[in-house]
Amino acid sequence: MDFPENLRYTKTHEWIAVQGNKGKVGVTSYAQQEISDVVFVELPKKDQAVQQAKTAAVVESVKAAFDIYAPMSGKVTNTNKALEANPGLINQSPYGDGWLFEIELANAGEVNALMTAQQYRDTVQQAPKH
Amino acid sequence: MSMALETESRKLPLHDEHLRKGARMGDFGGWLVPLFYTSIVDEHTAVRCKAGLFDISHMGELLVEGPGALNFLEKNLPRRVAPVKLYQAIYMPLVNDRGGMVDDIIVYRMAESRFLIIVNAGNIEKDFQWFKSRAPDGVTVTNISESMGLLALQGPLSREILAEAFGAYYRDLKRFYYLDFEGGIIARTGYTGEDGYEIMVPMHKLKAIWDVLFRVGGKKGLVPVGFGARDTLRLEAAMPLYGHELNDTLTPLEAGLEWALDLSKDQFPGSKVLKAQKREGLSQKRIGFEMIDRGIPRQDCEVRKDGRLVGKVTSGSFIPTTGKSIGMAYVEACEAGVGNVLEVMIRDRAAKAAIVSLPFYKRKV
Repeated sequence: MDFPENLRYTKTHEWIAVQGNKGKVGVTSYAQQEISDVVFVELPKKDQAVQQAKTAAVVESVKAAFDIYAPMSGKVTNTNKALEANPGLINQSPYGDGWLFEIELANAGEVNALMTAQQYRDTVQQAPKH
Repeated sequence: MSMALETESRKLPLHDEHLRKGARMGDFGGWLVPLFYTSIVDEHTAVRCKAGLFDISHMGELLVEGPGALNFLEKNLPRRVAPVKLYQAIYMPLVNDRGGMVDDIIVYRMAESRFLIIVNAGNIEKDFQWFKSRAPDGVTVTNISESMGLLALQGPLSREILAEAFGAYYRDLKRFYYLDFEGGIIARTGYTGEDGYEIMVPMHKLKAIWDVLFRVGGKKGLVPVGFGARDTLRLEAAMPLYGHELNDTLTPLEAGLEWALDLSKDQFPGSKVLKAQKREGLSQKRIGFEMIDRGIPRQDCEVRKDGRLVGKVTSGSFIPTTGKSIGMAYVEACEAGVGNVLEVMIRDRAAKAAIVSLPFYKRKV
């Protein structure tokens, strides 16, 4: 499984790409595999405030709905509208076309609470196997 | 994303085989079962277009036998059993004294005074006690769930696959009939809305039967199907699921199962309540709905009409083959008409849905 080095990760399997005071958010390749076929996505609204570790979006498979938590706090500046018509992008390209939303960061220091790729890889590999 | 933790679940007899076939396992009523092997979408489609094989060995089997068995069942079941012939089966709810549903079951007549009853996995102990506590002298009730395995072969190609695997003898079974097979039975029954068979054999023979079906069926497109697609298939066929559309307080009339009752029968547990309910009319009914607005309905979502609470969703899902989101719910009888537009509360947002006639899916004969 692929965990790009330039991203930071949450224990709850979201990633964020931080650039200056902006962050782009998605779910990890581990998460998309656990969720399986994504059939529905509910994204936050533009200008909505999201809070670190609080629900910001919902991704649903046939079977169940999964809350997606904001890796960092901020204001939503953009959402991935392509997901409405094609939610499967999350499975096909979790770090690329399957991104969820972009935020303007409220507190850049929050990034320190997030894991590096190496740390995240270690936690995922310790997760119970089915 | 939050994920449920692994729980201590019982394993199916073919557990290792499911893992070998790449199954993602998950909990279903205390059992560790395959949720899907490749994807729910693919498996749902395979059953609708070709064929799928399900391991449903978690389900329970009870034997009711003895000289008084027929009389005992006639007194305690809501549907006449005497007209059920040898090699025939019959579906019905099991009703408690309050008119609620203990379970839904299929009763197979194995001999004049011997009946096999297939029950839901989560209700095995409850049903066993229910029958046992009521059984008079001369009737024995045995729980054979541990020694019997159950497979379901479902889909338009299942008839052809079964005949090639086990002989033409089984091909022309009528629906809700069965034949003896390898110390168990093959019955023309199922829970998908497609043509198909359920095969009950002693546990030690299960793997061999599973293998033969794949050897024969594999080249025709037979795939293993998990519980994810089992749920979307049965939902589309509007078949009720215990714990969702059926429970100890809902009545079979409310569930739309009057066709599976003989209310003209003298007496059975709950018969007075049901007859009175039929006379006085229902206050709530099971309905099917299709989402108009975006959103996937799930169990326990509130159903409202112009903001007023009128019911609750019992099952809901996105259906891969149609791309529609559908569900079943209990709603006030006065709001239960086909075409009525209701609001389903999905994450505190009212999403419009229209009541449609059931089933959502009916196979072309």
